[in-house]
Amino acid sequence: MLASASAAAKAPEPDSVVAALCESVDRFCARHVRAQEIDAAGRIPLVVIEGLAALGVFGATLPAEHGGGDLGLVGAAELIETLARHDRSVATTVGLHLGLGTRALVEHGSAEQHARYLPSLASGETIAAFATTEPAAGSDLSAIGTTLTEEGDLLRLRGQKAFVTNGGLACLFTVAARTKTSAGAAATTLVLVERGDKGVVQLGEERKLGLRGSSTTGFVFEDVALPRERVLGALGSGQAQLDRVLAWGRLLMSAGCVGTAQAALDRALRYTAERRQFGKRLDEQPVVRMLTDGMRARVAAMRAMVRAAAATDGETLARLSASAKVFCSESAWRVGDTALQLHGGSGYIEDTGLALLLRDARVTRIFEGANEVLLTQLGLLELSQRTTFAERTAGAVHELARRVEAHRQRLHEEQGVRVVRDKLALYRLGQAVILRDAALAAERTADPDLARAFANDALRDAVLHLGEWP
Amino acid sequence: MIRAELEGKVLSLISQLSTLKAHELRREQRLREDLGMDSVSSMELLSMVAEELDLDISVEDAAGITTVGGTLELVAQHYERSA
Ligand SMILES: Cc1cc2nc3c(=O)[nH]c(=O)nc-3n(C[C@H](O)[C@H](O)[C@H](O)COP(=O)(O)OP(=O)(O)OC[C@H]3O[C@@H](n4cnc5c(N)ncnc54)[C@H](O)[C@@H]3O)c2cc1C
Repeated sequence: MLASASAAAKAPEPDSVVAALCESVDRFCARHVRAQEIDAAGRIPLVVIEGLAALGVFGATLPAEHGGGDLGLVGAAELIETLARHDRSVATTVGLHLGLGTRALVEHGSAEQHARYLPSLASGETIAAFATTEPAAGSDLSAIGTTLTEEGDLLRLRGQKAFVTNGGLACLFTVAARTKTSAGAAATTLVLVERGDKGVVQLGEERKLGLRGSSTTGFVFEDVALPRERVLGALGSGQAQLDRVLAWGRLLMSAGCVGTAQAALDRALRYTAERRQFGKRLDEQPVVRMLTDGMRARVAAMRAMVRAAAATDGETLARLSASAKVFCSESAWRVGDTALQLHGGSGYIEDTGLALLLRDARVTRIFEGANEVLLTQLGLLELSQRTTFAERTAGAVHELARRVEAHRQRLHEEQGVRVVRDKLALYRLGQAVILRDAALAAERTADPDLARAFANDALRDAVLHLGEWP
Repeated sequence: MIRAELEGKVLSLISQLSTLKAHELRREQRLREDLGMDSVSSMELLSMVAEELDLDISVEDAAGITTVGGTLELVAQHYERSA
């Protein structure tokens, strides 16, 4: 079924292809994916991995000529949202494979690298992973200490990586290492490492708060000799590749957050429609209604934001994927927390499943760029562009965009380029920017009532972040 | 300050954010591809220069800079204007 999507390689995939895939994945997950059991066992049953592989899930975004489904980001985001509604560990395992794990290979790999690796990655026989983080280099990737040095015909990889998602399953790793540019300065290179390469040592499984079915391990590279053909693109060209790969990774992670939030909302709506207190159903209480309405509006904004970002490319995708990552991870946490609250004491009990949902969601505010770091960068990006949105909008969205633009102008006038080092100002501006981006996306594609409700909430929050009062 | 002195100061600031020494820097080198800087560190560079030399450089002007030579030119223009 997926192969038929190949004709639409560069154009957006037909909705019907994505819908058919998501429908069969949804059916399969409803029958075979048991989130609580996966959490308790600390791994995803083989039958689930094999079943998803048979549906073409592991090849969904890989090129059709190597057995993949050629889906773009829009379709891939829908697929990950579908998986996350059932279980976040499954969605993370697949999302990492399709995003960070294989994207650099798909976009920057040579024909030989494609022929060698893509067929087994597309069939799900090989799972991919991505390793940049190190014990001493997390948010600060310029501190990467793993080195890739030239030794005659070979390259030599030395160093240690931490927190590698899919570490225990993967046979192919995209590894970020330190090399030199042609000018001799320190640079980053992405290189492909196989599990069987001599000197590749996997460390033990991490014990985690959530995402327990998703494997996370460290790796040590002990003088690993690699042929030059393993480099993706040219030596030293990894930074630009990383920007693009991270955009895919962040957006698929955001889509997973939409799935988590939708699952939390569905449960909250079901529960508040059944549970009776004070002689009536919970959803007849105005305060409860206000909370569920807020969740509905937020989930609609999350989905709109992911779709809006997924339909872009280049620098816009890089910016919007970071914005979506922060907004969706914070929102999944917030919606999940409200859903748990509305379940009362039973929400706190593991059997209800809300606690698992929250435990699983927590890490999304940390990985793929800690939110605080991304917010500061988003504030900086906002300052370096002249884009205005206010004039094209109305109501609360207009007011929100106008305030962001006025604030930006004030920072320019008061500090000029010096503001780049005023991290608090950048962070606060970043907070307002993600709300503006979400409100704009919702205005364009979400149900108008939900979009309006979200814009009012977002305006209130943004005003607080910018330190202004209406 | 004469131009050579100004350029010396800027090159020394660039070398603080790159792993190259000031004397290894060339005008045609690109901040990102050749010096390994990312978009944030290249903006921070201009911010440091503005602070050190007390110049009013806008964020938009700083964001448009991609090379060592571009940095030197931008700083020279602002320095002459402020002198
Ligand atoms: C379950 C899991 C899976 C992961 N999977 C992968 C993977 O597959 N591949 C991979 O390479 N990595 C992976 N990671 C690593 C993850 O991306 C890093 O943990 C993350 O980037 C943060 O780095 P750090 O943990 O070193 O935190 P640090 O960089 O030490 O930061 C700690 C905290 O300090 C704050 N902070 C840091 N710098 C700043 C700043 N400049 N401004 C404001 N606040 C700041 C933030 O709140 C941050 O959360 C994974 C991590 C986990 C937990």
